[in-house]
Amino acid sequence: MKGCDTELMIDTTAEGRCTAAELDAMLTEIAAGNLQALEQLYRRTRASVYAFALSVLKNPQDAEDVLHDCYVAVWNGAAGYHSQGKPLAWLITVARNLCFQRIRQQKKTEDMRSEEWALCLPCERGLSPEDRSILSVCMEQLSGQERQIVALHAVSGFKHREIAELMDLPLPTVLSKYHRAVKRLKKIMQ
Amino acid sequence: MTTREINEKARQAYRHAVPEVWDEVLSDCREQKENMLVMTLPRRKPWVARMVGLAACLCLLIGTGVGFLRYRSERAVDATVSLDVNPSIEIRVNQKERVLEVVPLNEDGRLIVGDLDFSGSSLDVTVYALIGSMLQNGYLNELTNSILISVDNSDPARGAAMQERLTSEVNLLLQTDSFNGAVLSQTVTKTDELQQLAEQYGITMGKAQLIKAVLSESTLRSFADLVPLSINELNLLLSRETAAATHVEVIGAASDKAYIGEARAREIALEKAGLIADSTTAWEIEMDLERGVLVYELEFLADGCEYDVEIDAVSGEILKFKTKRHSTPAASAPAQSGRSDSVSTTELIGEDNAGEIALEHAGVDSRDAARFRCKLEREDGLLVYEIEFYAGGCEYDYEIDAASGAVLKYEKDLDD
Repeated sequence: MKGCDTELMIDTTAEGRCTAAELDAMLTEIAAGNLQALEQLYRRTRASVYAFALSVLKNPQDAEDVLHDCYVAVWNGAAGYHSQGKPLAWLITVARNLCFQRIRQQKKTEDMRSEEWALCLPCERGLSPEDRSILSVCMEQLSGQERQIVALHAVSGFKHREIAELMDLPLPTVLSKYHRAVKRLKKIMQ
Repeated sequence: MTTREINEKARQAYRHAVPEVWDEVLSDCREQKENMLVMTLPRRKPWVARMVGLAACLCLLIGTGVGFLRYRSERAVDATVSLDVNPSIEIRVNQKERVLEVVPLNEDGRLIVGDLDFSGSSLDVTVYALIGSMLQNGYLNELTNSILISVDNSDPARGAAMQERLTSEVNLLLQTDSFNGAVLSQTVTKTDELQQLAEQYGITMGKAQLIKAVLSESTLRSFADLVPLSINELNLLLSRETAAATHVEVIGAASDKAYIGEARAREIALEKAGLIADSTTAWEIEMDLERGVLVYELEFLADGCEYDVEIDAVSGEILKFKTKRHSTPAASAPAQSGRSDSVSTTELIGEDNAGEIALEHAGVDSRDAARFRCKLEREDGLLVYEIEFYAGGCEYDYEIDAASGAVLKYEKDLDD
């Protein structure tokens, strides 16, 4: 099938690339009140949720709060989850919602501290200088959408069509933003 | 550096940046679970003291009641009181309101009843004990707080009195420190149809009657769709008007804590529409069940357009978003609109549509289009979308009228 060649097969197996079926099974267990299943889900998907939250909010503390709130929300809402075969997308939507709620709250109280973000990442988190460098570029040189698309693709392994659906953007827009972002990253990271 | 390497570096960086929050998540989830459990320190939760007292009475009654009643052999079932939350339980009592039998109708009900024997106890004490068990086992909690009490009594006057009494007692029981319960109550009018439905789906006649009440609001759902819902969810779907019309009394409000809430749903709809609350009117929000999923259905008016939005009540995902011109036919004329200055954002076709029009005109599949760009510009007083993309070795440039979608200009060049 032509047209999808720009989508790379990313191997996200650090926590192991979970199949939709595995995630669905976890959610069913969680709905039945199984805390261990929640922990399993957390271990397998937290990078995806955090990466997305950080790319929306730019602030590590806020992203950490959303990460926490997301799994508590899953715990509460799992009974209402009806599988449509896209559990990771559902999870990201829950996270997205929490991000927007937070933005709304913050708009009422303080300005976004996006410029100070790099100072907020604690040193002990095991980030190499290269890690910090690429995250800086993402935060400072990419637009919000470009950053989110990169996070969803690189960390969660979503295909561009899936990203288009998640972010409610046309596929050509996702593709062009993705390529622009990658181009800029390549240029700076050389 | 290849694209693959960039992606890998980004992935590693984000993964290394993830904080460890599991302990906090676990303790917050556990805390919620525990709020449903009976605290063993009676001084912290006043109702527990009541429960402990009642349980003691219950034991006593079971002990003495059996002896007292056996020789009276009042075995005729005079009334049936059913309790539904998720668990479904039927309590059959005689003329003296002494329990003859407690029948669990589903798995959850069996869990609640356990091997307790209520025969001979009073109706009220039995109801308290069963509700206490539901609280203890987490069936009634902050997220699922609604219980349905259905009374079926051979004497309607006594039935009504029983319903009122039990409702106010149960309501008191459920106003605890950790959550506020909601009590729905009704008198069951036993019909063959109701009995058949109850048997077919394994639910109480009371729940069947409630489902029929909720169904009466809309012809779009089927009985089978609603059977798996908890009383809490049915309570959320039941409007005040229908409750009044079908004689279901409702005290308290159904818990919507497992859902994003009407306020958030409203925000999501406004965001998608690109509007602020002040520019909208005539809001209508209600919860509904669509294809087995609980959703918020929102309707509102803005700037001559009617908006119809459906949002997943748990995830906040937008499932449907429709707008319809609400006013004069002149606004929907397909001809060119030169009066661009007064065109508000709601009257433009949008970037998505403009893009589709351009791609279609060029005969290019969206998957084959690269470096797609779309920008809203003003050209000679007219609002247009300027679109650019590359496909099959060619560069395409389009100008689309932002209000009517007409293709005003297009160009195709070899890409070098």
